[in-house]
Amino acid sequence: MVYGIPRGRSSTVIIAALVVMAIVAVPLAAAGDSPSFTRDIKPLLSNRCAQCHGPDAETREGGDDEGLRLDTLEGSRADLGGRAAIVPGKLDESALIARITSTDPDTVMPPPDSGTPLTPAEVDLLSRWITAGAEYEPHWAYVPPQRPAVPVVKHAAWPKNEIDRFILARLEVEGLSPQPEADRCTLARRLALDLTGLPPTPEEVDAFVADEAPDAVERFIDRLLEHDGYGEHVARQWLDLARYADSAGYAEDRPRTIWGWRDWVIKACDSNMPFDEFTIRQVAGDLLPDATLDDRIATAFHRNTLNNSEGGTIDEEFRVAAVIDRVNTTMSTWMGTTIACAQCHDHKYDPLSQKEFFGIYAILNQTADADSPNESPFVALFTPEQEARRELLAAELAEIAKNVPAARDKALEPPEFRPLRELQASLQKQLDAIRPRTTVPVMEELPDPQRRVTKLQYRGNWNDLGPEVSPGMPVALSNATPLADGRPDRLALAKWLVDPANPLTARVVVNRIWERFFGIGIVSTSEEFGAQGELPSHPELLDWLACELVDRGWDTKAIIRLIVSSAAYRQTSKCPPEVIARDQENGLVSCGPRVRLSAEVIRDQALAASGLLSRKKGGPSVNPPQPDLGLTAAFGGGLDWTTSKGEDRYRRAIYTTWRRSNPYPSMATFDAPNREVCTVRRPRTNTPLQALVTLNDPVYVEAAQALARRMIREGGSNAADRAIRGFRLVLARSPTGPEIDRLIKLFDDAAAEYHSDAAAAKQMATEPLGNPPADLGADTADLAAWTVVANVLLNLDETFMCP
Amino acid sequence: MHPYLQHKLLATRRQLLGSMAGGIGAIAAAELLGGRALGATGGGPADSADPMAARLPPLPAKAKRMIVIHLTGSPPNLDMYDHKPALVAHDGQECPAEFLAGKTFAFTSGTPKLLGTRRSWAKCGQSGIELSDAIPNLQRVADKLCFIKSMHTDQFNHAPAELMVYTGSPRAGRPSLGAWVTYGLGTENADLPGFVALISSGTQPNAGTSSFGSGFLPSVYQGVQCRSKGDPVLYVSDPPGMDRAMRRRSLDALRDLNELQARELGNPETLTRIAQYELAYRMQTSVPDVMDISKEPAHVLEAYGAEPGGSSLANNILLARRLVEQGVRFVHLFDWGWDFHGTNPKEDIRDGLTTKAATFDKPAAALIEDLAERGLLDDTLVLCTGEFGRTPFREGRTAKGQVLGRDHYPDCFTVWMAGGGVKAGHVHGSTDELGFNVASDPVHVHDLQATLLHLLGFEHTKLTWRFQGRDFRLTDVHGKVVKEILV
Repeated sequence: MVYGIPRGRSSTVIIAALVVMAIVAVPLAAAGDSPSFTRDIKPLLSNRCAQCHGPDAETREGGDDEGLRLDTLEGSRADLGGRAAIVPGKLDESALIARITSTDPDTVMPPPDSGTPLTPAEVDLLSRWITAGAEYEPHWAYVPPQRPAVPVVKHAAWPKNEIDRFILARLEVEGLSPQPEADRCTLARRLALDLTGLPPTPEEVDAFVADEAPDAVERFIDRLLEHDGYGEHVARQWLDLARYADSAGYAEDRPRTIWGWRDWVIKACDSNMPFDEFTIRQVAGDLLPDATLDDRIATAFHRNTLNNSEGGTIDEEFRVAAVIDRVNTTMSTWMGTTIACAQCHDHKYDPLSQKEFFGIYAILNQTADADSPNESPFVALFTPEQEARRELLAAELAEIAKNVPAARDKALEPPEFRPLRELQASLQKQLDAIRPRTTVPVMEELPDPQRRVTKLQYRGNWNDLGPEVSPGMPVALSNATPLADGRPDRLALAKWLVDPANPLTARVVVNRIWERFFGIGIVSTSEEFGAQGELPSHPELLDWLACELVDRGWDTKAIIRLIVSSAAYRQTSKCPPEVIARDQENGLVSCGPRVRLSAEVIRDQALAASGLLSRKKGGPSVNPPQPDLGLTAAFGGGLDWTTSKGEDRYRRAIYTTWRRSNPYPSMATFDAPNREVCTVRRPRTNTPLQALVTLNDPVYVEAAQALARRMIREGGSNAADRAIRGFRLVLARSPTGPEIDRLIKLFDDAAAEYHSDAAAAKQMATEPLGNPPADLGADTADLAAWTVVANVLLNLDETFMCP
Repeated sequence: MHPYLQHKLLATRRQLLGSMAGGIGAIAAAELLGGRALGATGGGPADSADPMAARLPPLPAKAKRMIVIHLTGSPPNLDMYDHKPALVAHDGQECPAEFLAGKTFAFTSGTPKLLGTRRSWAKCGQSGIELSDAIPNLQRVADKLCFIKSMHTDQFNHAPAELMVYTGSPRAGRPSLGAWVTYGLGTENADLPGFVALISSGTQPNAGTSSFGSGFLPSVYQGVQCRSKGDPVLYVSDPPGMDRAMRRRSLDALRDLNELQARELGNPETLTRIAQYELAYRMQTSVPDVMDISKEPAHVLEAYGAEPGGSSLANNILLARRLVEQGVRFVHLFDWGWDFHGTNPKEDIRDGLTTKAATFDKPAAALIEDLAERGLLDDTLVLCTGEFGRTPFREGRTAKGQVLGRDHYPDCFTVWMAGGGVKAGHVHGSTDELGFNVASDPVHVHDLQATLLHLLGFEHTKLTWRFQGRDFRLTDVHGKVVKEILV
């Protein structure tokens, strides 16, 4: 099968493009300039030298006992027995230069068997850097952001807010101009899909197009930000990070009830909970003074780890695996830092030691969960009515308790207590009989006597333990110091993550938000801000946004409003070829974003356009139709499910049962992860298997049938109006003349066929949706033909793209 | 692979217009890129816009495609492949303490009793390889097989051990062997999936779809599960009421509308989507066609013991041959029911094994002979394995019952391979006389992986994918090619 993730016409095109792009995005120091440490030197030291001359002491080579370190200034200047790797300003005394320019295969660095040699241009860079004094700079991402000055731009009329001035300043340097604003139909669809995951109705689009007020776009944005579908849409990304699923993973992959936490996240997004609060509650809500039930539910973030109930497993082994996953997920989610390397050895590129890994581990190692099959501890959730009844019963029981003897030897109890005892038993039975609406596994700190001692694990082996490690955070990543008071616990960790002095969290958060709207982050490696990540395309903009987030009280919706209000975001995505050639990935934001929709939005859009979508919020996960596989999970139950009844068949994608060992196939095909581990960034592929889903999956066939009925009912009596109605329900804009003609031709051809094959027509029009209402007033062949047209509308390239 | 190229591979936003092609010739451009640390020597689609385009590996390869037969649960190697007369001699005796010291078992504690095999054994063919009567047909083709009797792994629970064998890590999240191979080599038949997974005996692999998943590689490299019931590939059939002519008509309209849009926006990704729909249309014919084993002549069906319309390992093994013959790069079979604990008669190493092995032995032997007859064995690599071995003693829970079974055992087990550049009629490595430890030439799971990649033309340390700032590979930071088994 030939797949196109991206495809140019030939490899030549792509390679040529790479060269052009590389020159645009990462201008190397021209000969004569002094090289920049961050841009030019650090990548060389990190990629070519750090494996043997980096932070990892175990594998460090060269020099004396400690080995030669080139990732720090001190290391590079260290005395190597009368010599030093780098002597500032003195090329001929710098051993590094002698080694990288050596022609002797035994002494040349990097060693010939380690991979690619340094090019003459790279040697030149290093030489000029040493000549200029070989200054080191700390890694940019570990220096707290300072609010930068907003740049002055020539084209002063274009910017709508500060974002635009950063974007435009760079475009002007590159000799590029921004594109004009997209038309209102396009903006309506882009904004609605980006902010709610749902298409705008034609009526909403019409009202927006007709709105001539100067702040029409801003008011449209504000309405969408308050739309009740907002939280269900933006929560999705958080569920990927949290590896949320409705099953426990591994072989048996038992069902897990944890949707109460998913609903908590949706509510938090809808109510725009400040991100620092959102963080603290999820990492340590149970440790807050006067923690509420909601605070405890929030901690289920870290109960989404896998649980291995396979027979013959050692629970401690998999409890440890879960804690390790919590360390990794915490660092990825909040700090864009991959710390997994440091589980087994000191990090090779970033200043993270194995001891520091286990310092965080020690903090997260004190919860009561222990890979037990029942997933305890958990909290029970009752309905308000149940809660009232429980309180009443509890109060009565307390009252009775005061009036009966404390001694429980009923044989000796005077008989007059018998009626009270009977009442007591009956009330207790009633209380016990109130089954919770649901339960949610939570984080719960162990009582002092049971607290665990954390030891370093050699080579990451849970069974091969080293010295005890105290709880603490990696010092090089942040000089925020809330851990100083008392015993560092999860609450201290949570506060450390969102301390304004933490250099990473705010940057990581605004970068992920940016990526969501533009398809590519300001740091394109949104999962990696360390030495091995890419440099930001707009470092000042990133820092400005990060400062803005913190200064606005971690108000993420405010950042989103800023981004979608910007002229940069509002540009048309129709872009002249010469601009595309200069800025292929649109990292410079030289035109508006055009990004393939997520698996969830593709489903929700089809259901919404067809009118089938249920807007019911929250509750247990649901099962849309999926074909039976006839298989069971290893040691577990069947993988097939019973399709949910009634409106639950048509719920938003975020409510679909997420089974890790067998993810819902139609979404997995569109790159939804299985959520076994934290996913920061989903790929966006383009494959023939996706075409099979949206052409033939009964979910999409049913949506086409419902859309066809809507076209007939709402479109009027002639074919063109019906085609236009269907087109606008899916794509917001009106079709062009040639588009209408082509849709009508398809309808005419299909209707002619179906008029001669009543059985096929009946199937096409009604399986699986069922018979149309009697008052629809269309014959079956026409309905079948409109279903074929609707099936095409739901498969247009434009349908899958945020315009 | 260089992260920048990787990023290009994943980018879908927009690609260069065809008009950009002028100016820089391919060779000159490649030279320019060479200076920018292009990871092409490691393999992978660095030099291609199409991630599934067939490509040559960086090193000379003996194997061009691969079939894996995974016996899920792990077969009792001591009753099939690795004959231990001393264990028979000491049958029923308490297991010597030195063999148990420091070890943990899934279902056995205390001092278990040694369990000698109840099978008869024969030295087979010219090579004289000794195999049990559980697998009489494999005895017949022993001279074409290559056994490694000194395998060992780190995991003794099914799911982590299976992940270890196929992803190189006991924890979830890494790409599977088939995904790595497809990423490295692409595929030769555009009208079929490049990597197919087939499951028999009614139960998924231990690690679910992760055993044939793509992990952090792009999802185009994940195994496509083909089924014997319903659509062979999900949603490959048109909906009821739509015949092929109607589908063609609708795709023609879809193409015309997409082309109008492409002209308006000039976005080449639209053209890519048009191509994907045409491929999907062709797959709708080619997939059901290749999956229909009733097209095989009667003598072939008989040789494999395959029955059209049914679902069995025999059917899947025959399908594997049909798929690789059609250019599919990697076929991964999983057959449930090899977890011979002895908790029920089906898991007994006597009659239970005879019954279960019959479902595998005949088609597996037929596959080897069929591939050889068709001239495909030389460049098709076949691997048959479980996720670990089984103990030389009776499993603890069942020790008092009538059924004879064995516990999980990671310290030694046997795998066999055939074709694709491995020695025929060869045995590598050995275990000690009771089968407790590897006695010579130990081969860790990572070494096996390094060897498989070598046979397919890759230096295992160089087939990498940059993820979270690190170059990941199948063999993690381990792996040594087992040169002794190479032709």
